[in-house]
Amino acid sequence: MVMKTTIANDSRLLKEISGKIIDILKGKGVEEGIIFDIHVGLEEALRNAMMHGNKWDPDKKVTVETEIAGAAAIICVEDEGNGFDPKILPDPTLDENLLKESGRGVYLIRHLMDEVRYENGGRRIIMTKYLDKKHF
Amino acid sequence: MEIKREESNGIVIFRVAGDIDLNTSPELKKFFDQVIKENKKKILIDLKDVSYVDSSGLATLVEILKNLRVYGGRLKLTSLSAKVRGLFEITRLDKLFDISAGEEDALSSFNEA
Repeated sequence: MVMKTTIANDSRLLKEISGKIIDILKGKGVEEGIIFDIHVGLEEALRNAMMHGNKWDPDKKVTVETEIAGAAAIICVEDEGNGFDPKILPDPTLDENLLKESGRGVYLIRHLMDEVRYENGGRRIIMTKYLDKKHF
Repeated sequence: MEIKREESNGIVIFRVAGDIDLNTSPELKKFFDQVIKENKKKILIDLKDVSYVDSSGLATLVEILKNLRVYGGRLKLTSLSAKVRGLFEITRLDKLFDISAGEEDALSSFNEA
């Protein structure tokens, strides 16, 4: 099953598209803990795309493509911004960064999803989460 | 998100229900701006009914902690679900925040210190 949607930079639309994907996963009987991880990972990616990628520019869109195939959910989020290098982000878990108020979104995505890769100069993130515990 | 405020023996208790995320974090911060104006020093947040927190929510809690520390205020968190607690552990914020398993422990530890 593949679902592709393009949305404006709007936090209500962020919740709407996230809610739709979560409802599909619930309907498939995916375990709550796995849904929680996808929920956080997906919304962090959408927020990063709208805020850091598109910088809330009303002329730019975010495209979300979700494929739920058998034992995995593959979610691709792409913005129309300038891109970024995910390798140069500071580690938010270092003692000197713990009191910082930003910088945890990408870190959470990397830890909650099973596979994460970036394409198109950092504009596109592709996240995979296995839905079947046999993969762990 | 719903926030209820109670006060018991000088400890302000916030019972939060729902999601703490990009959309709701500003409301949470408003409640704490008021507490900080009142110079309250012992604050407990009950997260039992919080099922979802994102990085904006974590950032807001860090900001609240920093603002309270400026004047010697103390913040404790209690009754986190396993998944929400997991987010604190992944980000190592469990080392920054005082997190209690239950409310009684949290309240008594305020009085011990």
